[in-house]
Amino acid sequence: MTTPLTAFWAVFAREIRGAVRSRTYLLLALALTLVVFGLAGAGNGPSAGYVPTVVDVLLVVEVIVPAVAFAVGYRAITDDAVRGTLDVLATYPLPPWAYVLGVYAGRAVALLSVVLVPLLILGVAVAVTAGPATTVFATHRGVDSPLLFVRFLALTAGFALTTLAMAIAISALADSRRRAILLALVGLLVVAVGADVTVFQAVAGGLVDADLGTFLGVSPASAYRGLVFETVLYVAFSERTGFVSVPVAVVGLLAWSLASLLVATLSVRSRRA
Amino acid sequence: MTDGEPYLRATGVDRTFGDVTALADVSVAIPGGSVVALIGPNGSGKTTLLRVLAGLLAPTDGDVTYEGPSATRPLGYLPQEPAFRPGYTTAETAAFYARLVDDDPTELLDRVGLGNVPDRRVEALSGGMTRLLGIAQALAGEPPVLALDEPASGLDPVMSQRVFDILESLAADGHAVVVTSHDLPLVERSADRIVILDRGSVVAADAPAALRDRTGGPLHETFTRLVEVDDAVSVRTGATR
Repeated sequence: MTTPLTAFWAVFAREIRGAVRSRTYLLLALALTLVVFGLAGAGNGPSAGYVPTVVDVLLVVEVIVPAVAFAVGYRAITDDAVRGTLDVLATYPLPPWAYVLGVYAGRAVALLSVVLVPLLILGVAVAVTAGPATTVFATHRGVDSPLLFVRFLALTAGFALTTLAMAIAISALADSRRRAILLALVGLLVVAVGADVTVFQAVAGGLVDADLGTFLGVSPASAYRGLVFETVLYVAFSERTGFVSVPVAVVGLLAWSLASLLVATLSVRSRRA
Repeated sequence: MTDGEPYLRATGVDRTFGDVTALADVSVAIPGGSVVALIGPNGSGKTTLLRVLAGLLAPTDGDVTYEGPSATRPLGYLPQEPAFRPGYTTAETAAFYARLVDDDPTELLDRVGLGNVPDRRVEALSGGMTRLLGIAQALAGEPPVLALDEPASGLDPVMSQRVFDILESLAADGHAVVVTSHDLPLVERSADRIVILDRGSVVAADAPAALRDRTGGPLHETFTRLVEVDDAVSVRTGATR
């Protein structure tokens, strides 16, 4: 008996099989490893501890993660549309939501492997090169800890999943590979700078009656950056950083993810009669 | 439900794209246990009608109803140019589609004669083998209705004949097969009923023998008499309706 869940697993398994065979993902992981180790080495972070290492790589990770997420996802559904596979799949008992979630989940496994493995290796490098103060678990401000690095990894994973959902939405909206590339570039610009600039302009221009720390949570990149500041780098500050409202940032990332997957699902459904 | 009764029925179907009328008041029935061929000049609306019948395109007006037996997957579809995700073998590709409907991928490949190349990558398949894999995909879940868009297009005579032999055997098994084609000799030999489209309308629909009797010659003569073959693109717009 076929259920939407078994159909989801079929799509998921197809994506995983494709990811395992792709050398592109391996190259992306290698490139990311070189970048984060280069940055951390230049800043001397690994020998200083987890928090200094996060400081060294945060700015670049904030840009590279969306770039990798868009690279992994921008053609995920477009390719199926261009090949006519979406038409064929429409004749199967495969609801659009199960298809979109299967594609998303499969690509998410690939993306998280590409992003987290280099950062995990970096964390191991910190563990073996940093001083003894980094091996304790932090219970109060000012103490470095592996737990803080794990938080950084978790937040980076969340940010990666959000930007992947946006890439999947773009891939569902694009009806050709060329348009997918153009939309992906626009999406990447929006995530990297566009959303932040819009938030700043809206607050500075008085268009929004909210404090900047709250409204920044609406921008995915600011939400991620703010959460890293509030939950990882806070040990380096004597007072609350106040960079972003944690609940707003969490809800913001979730909202971007869910809205993007909804857009993707509706787009796939609209292609059917 | 017995063979011979319609599994799929289109009634008064119109389909427009902007001011272009692709289909105008088309009514056809696709009975179980038979091959129905849609023929006509390029742009006459064959593919549009097939996509409407397959539920991939909503009619602007009119209805398409499925009246066949209850099934997990009522209709299987083969696009005009089937393409599969590169990097996968024929067995893996068949397994993906089979898993969606709990079918046996090995049996699907055997049914279309691809059982001996399970490990060949899809990008290494010939055009004919790619179409056979597409037919295997269309058969997944044993759908009562099969909608195939030019399954023999671009194939050599032997492979074309093989494809139509498969269609005939599927109809013999009780499937309702609707197919578009430009290969009139094969259609004449294999189809139980032929629907001739011109400018989005049905200009004739009958058994091959009955259509031949209209001119006393081969189907080609009937076809050229019924349609305006001089039209390079025989669609009609609001201005020509």
